[in-house]
Amino acid sequence: MPTPSYDLVIIGSGPAGSTTARFAARQGLKVLLVDKRQELGAPIQCSGAVSRHALEEVGVTPDAEFIHEPIYGFGIYNEKGDRTVIDYRRLKADEYGPGEGQKPLGYVVDRRRFDRYLMTQAERAGTEVWLKTEGLSYRPNGDGGCEVFLRRFNQDITVKARVLVGADGLQSQVGKWAGLRTHIKITELASCLQFIVDQVETEGLLEIITGHEWAPGGYAWVFPKGHGYAEIGLGVIPTMTDKNAQWHLDRFIRHSFFEERFKNSRILEIQGGGVPLASPLRTQYADNLILVGDAARHVNPITGGGIHTALSGGNIAGNFLADFLNQDKPPTAQNLEGYQNRWLEELGNKMWKLYDVKTEIFRKNDIRERDALLYQTMASYFSPHSEFKKI
Amino acid sequence: MPKKDPVIFFIGWNACINCGACVAICPQDAGFISPFDTIAVDRPCDIACLLCEDICPVSTITHKPA
Ligand SMILES: Cc1cc2nc3c(=O)[nH]c(=O)nc-3n(C[C@H](O)[C@H](O)[C@H](O)COP(=O)(O)OP(=O)(O)OC[C@H]3O[C@@H](n4cnc5c(N)ncnc54)[C@H](O)[C@@H]3O)c2cc1C
Ligand code: SF4
Ligand code: SF4
Repeated sequence: MPTPSYDLVIIGSGPAGSTTARFAARQGLKVLLVDKRQELGAPIQCSGAVSRHALEEVGVTPDAEFIHEPIYGFGIYNEKGDRTVIDYRRLKADEYGPGEGQKPLGYVVDRRRFDRYLMTQAERAGTEVWLKTEGLSYRPNGDGGCEVFLRRFNQDITVKARVLVGADGLQSQVGKWAGLRTHIKITELASCLQFIVDQVETEGLLEIITGHEWAPGGYAWVFPKGHGYAEIGLGVIPTMTDKNAQWHLDRFIRHSFFEERFKNSRILEIQGGGVPLASPLRTQYADNLILVGDAARHVNPITGGGIHTALSGGNIAGNFLADFLNQDKPPTAQNLEGYQNRWLEELGNKMWKLYDVKTEIFRKNDIRERDALLYQTMASYFSPHSEFKKI
Repeated sequence: MPKKDPVIFFIGWNACINCGACVAICPQDAGFISPFDTIAVDRPCDIACLLCEDICPVSTITHKPA
């Protein structure tokens, strides 16, 4: 059998991979998208908060298939429980709300359904998708292309690609295949745990609880999850505590100013993961290869949010590669640097700025000073006047 | 820095939530992973930085000398 040949092979069908695939396929590239999972998004390693703007910007129509609950604003708490509420239903009442002619600010999505939906859109744009297919390694072969080694339902398969896209998430191995410096510092990876719970009331707001007391190095959150459910979670930086995330979450639920509110909570699901509060990778490309999404650390270092940045990164990558390969340029590292430059211009430079803001906060040794600064930064970050509103 | 002695990891699968945080922090070469989104448990680790144990949200990774 001749080796099947594609313009792009994309490893990982999260928001970054499927969006890259959709935009590239739409412009006529021959795209293979593979994911090792049997069910995308599962087990869930995400809280699912995403702005409406982030979806619309990449042509994703908010669909009941994946929406748990609409969101209208934020509640930011300090360590004592004082809060700043930024409720767009009040700030811009004519625009935001549940009524006719009004709209939500964002959504909490079900990542299982969301990732499947995005994959389906990529498939409808012409992408070939293989599930239960793990990427194992790749080899540039000098003639402008590379070979990609896959295992699909126990069968070893080699395919050819002009460019390999690593969209394999936080645990990315693809960057390592190419020898890129992908390492995250332990001081910049938050260890997160979250419970989906019953019997906790929410009010259409994403609630963010700051303070070293509750989540050293990170923050805690309470998100509405639809069907009357909520999600309670937190992330901690391991070097800032000698307890694990589970211990901190248990303490937050039972002994914080929300003790009364959480009193009858019942756990329905348990999820977790790592969230990089880090800078983007300095080099996100190599010969025949680029990285996108969490794999390139396209994550907002203040909020830890990475869905929006994965979607917009996928948009940038898909369109760049289509323009690039349609001109028949050789995909050398030198030429693919253009992808990173475009990304920096459209998104990355802002993320570097956010990284500096974050670093400034956690450089403070005095806990009270740090707490005050984090609370203030979070509150202004989500305000309608924030310069970073769009990421 | 003196070289550390290799270790072999044991994961308490009963508590593991397959979150992948241990793989994300691990400085090993590509492929030091198990089929369950965790670090490898079928061969020794010669770096032995133990960051994987530190990042685990449910502390379910332990080790012994390899
Ligand atoms: C606890 C937690 C809460 C979060 N909450 C939010 C939130 O509320 N809002 C937000 O915006 N972001 C949030 N994030 C971050 C967000 O989940 C990620 O930034 C986002 O999923 C990144 O998308 P991605 O497409 O880059 O990678 P992923 O979604 O991780 O997708 C990677 C895909 O690659 C596949 N894969 C990996 N390796 C291989 C391989 N070798 N072969 C084949 N397939 C492979 C995986 O199976 C997976 O499907 C949260 C993260 C965590 C851990
Ligand atoms: S000890 Fe360090 S190098 Fe070894 S598996 Fe754990 S994180 Fe990876
Ligand atoms: S960090 Fe812990 S819970 Fe997460 S996958 Fe690794 S061993 Fe399992």
